[in-house]
Amino acid sequence: MQTNKGAPKIIARKRGNVFGFWFFRVLSKLFGLRGAYGFLYFVCLYYLLFDRQTTIGALAYVRRRFAGSGFLRSRFYIYRLFISQGKQLIDRYVAISGNVRFDIKLEGTGQLFKLLRQRQEGFILLAAHVGNWQVALTTLKNLNRTVHLVMRPEDNPAVERSLHISKEGDFVRIISPEADLDGIIQIMHALKEGDIVSIMGDRKYNFDALNVSFLGDKAYFPYGAFAIAAAANCPVVVLLSARISYKRYLVDVRNVLYPRYTDAAGKQEELRNFVQEFATILDRYTQEYPYQCFLFHDIWKN
Amino acid sequence: MEDKKEQELDEIRKKLKELLVTNLNLENIKPEQIKDNEILFGEGLGLDSLDAVEIVVLLQRNFDLDVKNMNEEKKIFYSVDTLSRYILEKRKR
Repeated sequence: MQTNKGAPKIIARKRGNVFGFWFFRVLSKLFGLRGAYGFLYFVCLYYLLFDRQTTIGALAYVRRRFAGSGFLRSRFYIYRLFISQGKQLIDRYVAISGNVRFDIKLEGTGQLFKLLRQRQEGFILLAAHVGNWQVALTTLKNLNRTVHLVMRPEDNPAVERSLHISKEGDFVRIISPEADLDGIIQIMHALKEGDIVSIMGDRKYNFDALNVSFLGDKAYFPYGAFAIAAAANCPVVVLLSARISYKRYLVDVRNVLYPRYTDAAGKQEELRNFVQEFATILDRYTQEYPYQCFLFHDIWKN
Repeated sequence: MEDKKEQELDEIRKKLKELLVTNLNLENIKPEQIKDNEILFGEGLGLDSLDAVEIVVLLQRNFDLDVKNMNEEKKIFYSVDTLSRYILEKRKR
């Protein structure tokens, strides 16, 4: 994060709205989950043909992950990405509505419990636009800690709706990164109180970022999460999730990083190593789940 | 009484400036070059919100203070003077 007073706010275009969610909910009730998925093939074709901004955003990833693909093949990969994301949006909605039960395989949660037992302070949960991070987040409910999501106000309504955050006593709260110092103070206080602070680690928006290798090219990743962890002396737990088959998900929290400064003069360079480690984890993820990276934004361009 | 308070404030300001220079890795700036009322963030000293992280930790570790009330306490980050007054006030409680 940075002090960005006066900087233009980035308005993200959201695919999926109240009507869309209602429509797919009705479809899933009438025709089951597979029936709702079926309709996605038409909806995604529409997005592929007419949502130029998202298609171009996805192309930045596709060009690097599937290097050497021609025009038609790269569009086909984008189409598969859209369908994959659509399925996960439907899954997220029905999972949270409680209509359908999903089998979620957890990896590394034992380690998380151990971390929480050992420490009074909390930790940073570093998420990314891969898999179904909202579903992954719901699995952390039994850690019995409040989770603070650092996200922009315009992202709030969709996430609030999908996670039912507005309910009193919920374990998820929102911290706005645009709140400048307020946001930092809230994050630091939450960590001190032993809570979990979830930050998206793969989109820099207009925040400070470092240039590291990702999918064979130099990409810009924000380093705020690592700077906070180094200052607050807390670990960074990488949250990954993936749809492994019909109604089955994997939530992986095995990767834990411990950013620390050893040389006060080269803090940024030291942070770069941790940012690179995170990018490498994501790189490995995209090799395994190429159609679950929903980074519809050119992070290789500064 | 006032003199004693002023003396305490001076000591805190001095310590704070030293801590800022050391912890925030401020290049080419000596503690004594930082003015008491110089704006810390944006214009002035040019700190950013990641520096704010360090300042929050610095307050916790060196003065045993936990900044948590955002609405009331964000104004304390304005300058070395506002920070020092906050530290003095909280210490006396």
